[in-house]
Amino acid sequence: MEELFRYNYRPLCLFALHYIPDPDEVEDVVQECFTALWEKLEEGKAIANRRAYLYMTVRNRCLDRLRKKGIETESLKPYDTYGIIDDDDAQERSQTEARLWTAVDALPPKCRQALLLSKRDGLKYEEVAREMGISENTVRNQISKALKLLKEGAVKIYSFIIGLF
Amino acid sequence: MSQFEDRHLDFVLKHYQEGKFDTTEAIDRFNKAHGIMPKPRRRIIYFFSGVAAAVLLGVFLFHSASQNRWTELEAHAAVRTVVLPDGSDVTLAPGSSLRYRVRSPRIVEMTGKAFFDVARDESAPFEVHSESAFVRVLGTEFMVDAIRPEVTSVYVSEGKVLFATSKDQDGVMLTEGMEAVLEHGWTRPEILEEPDVNSIAWHRGTFVFEDTPLKEVLTCLSQYYNVSFVASDLDKRLSGEFSTEDLDLIISLIESALDVTIVK
Repeated sequence: MEELFRYNYRPLCLFALHYIPDPDEVEDVVQECFTALWEKLEEGKAIANRRAYLYMTVRNRCLDRLRKKGIETESLKPYDTYGIIDDDDAQERSQTEARLWTAVDALPPKCRQALLLSKRDGLKYEEVAREMGISENTVRNQISKALKLLKEGAVKIYSFIIGLF
Repeated sequence: MSQFEDRHLDFVLKHYQEGKFDTTEAIDRFNKAHGIMPKPRRRIIYFFSGVAAAVLLGVFLFHSASQNRWTELEAHAAVRTVVLPDGSDVTLAPGSSLRYRVRSPRIVEMTGKAFFDVARDESAPFEVHSESAFVRVLGTEFMVDAIRPEVTSVYVSEGKVLFATSKDQDGVMLTEGMEAVLEHGWTRPEILEEPDVNSIAWHRGTFVFEDTPLKEVLTCLSQYYNVSFVASDLDKRLSGEFSTEDLDLIISLIESALDVTIVK
């Protein structure tokens, strides 16, 4: 179980994030799904591909939650290309995104701050500079350094493929 | 592994929040919710860099309907983890292989180096056979290193195993943290007085050092990465846990921690 967590937790969170853009809610959903799997296994049910099972339950639960909130699942386009990409693509995408998330975690703090202020919060370089008390040029350097590190990180970090059985 | 695309990065950056999606925290939460006691063994600190272990591996799986046929698994360029039909996990080091008969998946033959996390089944002991050695267990975690034909070593990280020669099944009992070696021609394995916690570093994804002289640290790293080092002060001592992922990072961490210079 712990192994399953270690290999799949973050990719599953990223997968769920495409449906529900709230990290806290997403973590709850993924926990529930691991619990559901665990209970099935405790009952002695055989689940051949546990990872596929997790992805499936995460998706179903996300859609359930959205439906309960009265959101038409057909209008999910902004967060997901639901129904267009297949499961394998979705899993691969989630793994890529999980690696990127990890790579962002690993950035030097100043780099990360500059990158996030600019790309996530939509600040202009000038505003980032004011916010961080550094020059615009330094902001530019920090961001290009961050992007370079992310690219290197994404090449260097690859992952196990498990559960071929 | 393919390069990521900008849309992936945009998505991640848009939602990124520091400290979210922490796998270790999630496992703690899960364990607490289900009353599972955390396992006593050391855990990987930099998990996601630890996960980063390997991709291009050739896996051959010859399956046959016949119960007598062998199922064979091989790890080529990279470490590979597989789940056996009985639920046991096996991690194969690069260049290692494992096979079992369809009718008896708890009796396996192996070459090279493998780490086993055996699913408990009191009625069916789990057996590992290598060219010269034999290991029997009920439910446990251990590693068998049979890379060199003349020496086989077994390291147990959890539980209890019997380690013997392939001819004579009267061997030694090993429990948590114990390691024993069997050399060619011996009638039974010998238990090491100072087991090497880093013998399963490749599986765990970390090196663990506790007040270890730099000289030994570098010996360990040079065996693992197959490179040699020169350092300015070999007598300093190091404690800590390091991801096996990035040698250069380990070197720079050691350099700054001990204020020494290390040259590859």
